[in-house]
Amino acid sequence: MMALKALIRNRTQAALAMLGMTVGVAALVTSLALGRGAQEALDEQLRAAGANLIQITAGNYKVKREIDTDPEGHIGHTELEPQWRPGGMSAIPATYNPAPRIGDVFAPRCRSDGMPAEIIQAHFEDDPMAIHDHPTARQRLGDASAGLGSAATLTRDDAKAIAGIAGVQHVVSGVHENVRIFVQGTQTQWFTRMHGTEAALPEIRSGWTIPHGRFLNDGEVEGAAQVMVLGRVVSDRLFGAGADPVGHTVLLWHQPFKVIGVIGSRSWATQPAAGDDQFDAIYVPVTTIDRLLNLSKLNSISVTTDSVGDTKQVAKAITDLLRRRHHITGAAQSDDFQVTTMAQQVLGKGLSPDLARAVMGNLSSVDQLTVEQLSASLSRTNWTMLALLAGVAAVSLLVGGIGVMNLLLLSVTQRTREVGLRIALGARGGDIALQFVLEAVLISVIGGLLGIVFGVAASGSLQRFFHWSAVVSPGAAALAVLVAALLGITFGVWPARRAAALDPIEALRHE
Amino acid sequence: MSVITLESVKKVYKLGENSVHALRGVSLEIAAGEFVSIIGPSGSGKSTMMHILGCLDRPSEGRYLLNGKDVSALSRDALAEIRNKQIGFVFQGFNLLPRTTAVENVEVPLLYSRPVMHAHERRERALKALAAMGLSDRADHHPNQLSGGQQQRVAIARALVNEPSLILADEPTGNLDTKTSIDVMQALQELRARRGITIVLITHEPDIAAFGTRIVAVRDGVILSDVPNVPRGLPQDAPVALAAAG
Repeated sequence: MMALKALIRNRTQAALAMLGMTVGVAALVTSLALGRGAQEALDEQLRAAGANLIQITAGNYKVKREIDTDPEGHIGHTELEPQWRPGGMSAIPATYNPAPRIGDVFAPRCRSDGMPAEIIQAHFEDDPMAIHDHPTARQRLGDASAGLGSAATLTRDDAKAIAGIAGVQHVVSGVHENVRIFVQGTQTQWFTRMHGTEAALPEIRSGWTIPHGRFLNDGEVEGAAQVMVLGRVVSDRLFGAGADPVGHTVLLWHQPFKVIGVIGSRSWATQPAAGDDQFDAIYVPVTTIDRLLNLSKLNSISVTTDSVGDTKQVAKAITDLLRRRHHITGAAQSDDFQVTTMAQQVLGKGLSPDLARAVMGNLSSVDQLTVEQLSASLSRTNWTMLALLAGVAAVSLLVGGIGVMNLLLLSVTQRTREVGLRIALGARGGDIALQFVLEAVLISVIGGLLGIVFGVAASGSLQRFFHWSAVVSPGAAALAVLVAALLGITFGVWPARRAAALDPIEALRHE
Repeated sequence: MSVITLESVKKVYKLGENSVHALRGVSLEIAAGEFVSIIGPSGSGKSTMMHILGCLDRPSEGRYLLNGKDVSALSRDALAEIRNKQIGFVFQGFNLLPRTTAVENVEVPLLYSRPVMHAHERRERALKALAAMGLSDRADHHPNQLSGGQQQRVAIARALVNEPSLILADEPTGNLDTKTSIDVMQALQELRARRGITIVLITHEPDIAAFGTRIVAVRDGVILSDVPNVPRGLPQDAPVALAAAG
């Protein structure tokens, strides 16, 4: 109270000393915010690079078996594996008429408000529900040994169970197929990759933009709606470059799908190109594929973790969980699925399947190290930057502290008479010292609080106008006030002791 | 009982090579309820006496007993407590804190009293002291809004607030005109008469010293004379006496 009154009496000087402290604390808060922002941006980059992505694929290509003779069909559905491709078929019946079979067997699974089967022009290459000279849909899809070109050993229930693992951010089920699609009412067609997926996929593929419309929503996935999101390449091929296809209808397996959005690339480094897996592709709800093809199995489950550092543990937890769920016990029994981290995929890319197999088989932990090492080295760089910023803040706080000390020394000199009077009236040395230290702390803390305000404002402006990432944490603010108070005490002690040691007789004579 | 006993008090200041003998053996006894004027020219040692009596300084030799207690060798903090509790100071320059209201100025000694006093009790006692000096309506005024006489009366209220047994007034009228000086001196006389407070007044003006019941003349560090006095201060003859003094 007394300290506050003294400050109010000497408000100009107090304000100046406070300014020094304010600048120091603002610098501290800003630098901490920038440091933390950089840390989070870094984590975000690693995440965007997919460092926190875990891919679970049905089948297991590490198991050394011949693809065609494997009775269990444990064939990994990955980039490394050859897949069943409709284009590879040899014989095409010229007088193909799928109508009776569609009516008999498959009509009940079609949407009740779907197009009548007879007005859709049947095409022999894009109807897995029809009979061809290759294995029938029933044969290919009906059991684990012959699903969609891979061993579909994963289920939606597996995906739900994985979502319950600690540290898991998003879980997206996937069914993948190569399909031919048509623009309704035309012969415009495109042969592309179909992904049955879920609404959270864009959260995982952070490199995406949605130039037209939107991605699938949860309601459409729940309701198995016949809606479709086109990759940029598909949209360009079917509707013309840059066109907005939203609202048009596209036929897949004779079924009408409403186009609801287009996916483009956020990065100039990844340009959509024909044949790629993301933009030369279409996305439909996985549940719709289930319904149309009567599938209960998945080709893949994509999982992201909250933190890049957790990837290894989460991958391990998923493996354990799936082994339990699939009743795989004992080391001798091999997994009927494969858990791959992003690093493994990066390592695998560009290698021949045999070599990749060897690398994966033998170096199961080296890839993990790579991600962690990358993360650690980036973190070290970040720490260096943080230390530099903290150094700048420390210097400005020191200057602020010296400012406070300067004010107090000046104040002691100017108020010598007052100090002498107080001593004469019975103030002990401790009372006088306490008064000055309290004044110093008060200046510092008020200056510090103002500093936080300015620091937050500065961080906000840096973020807004220069797009630096800055995150002010409550901890950093509390630290700043604490540092200010400690500085106040430290730099207040010397002037306070000088005041306390004044000779009252001399002090009272002082003009 | 004596409030003050000085026993052959000497005070020597060292100024580089030279020693200055400010007091060369002063013995003095002041009883409760006396109004003693210590008079002397500058350099006579009266200020040094005042500092020692006020426990602001310690004698180099000899003993000083205040209310029967030897305070010659007490610590700084112990002296501070004695100043706070037993002595009220009135200074020549008033020494009020600027930009601080009258009542807050009067509260200052109470801030340093042990045990710690509640804020509302401090305020109550300060207002009472101001009322005793007839300044109730000036409690919230700052010193620069008060006349010299009012300021000195605020200072007297501050000296009174802790109910000391002794008031030390060091040239209390030095900055005041004649009429105001008389008001202030009469206020001190009244305190002595009503409350029995012992008053020691330091001055170089004989007509101000004449308000005391006893006049001690000091010169060159020793007491020249120590005589009882019939105090002046009856309101009606004051102007006459002052006119005579010139």
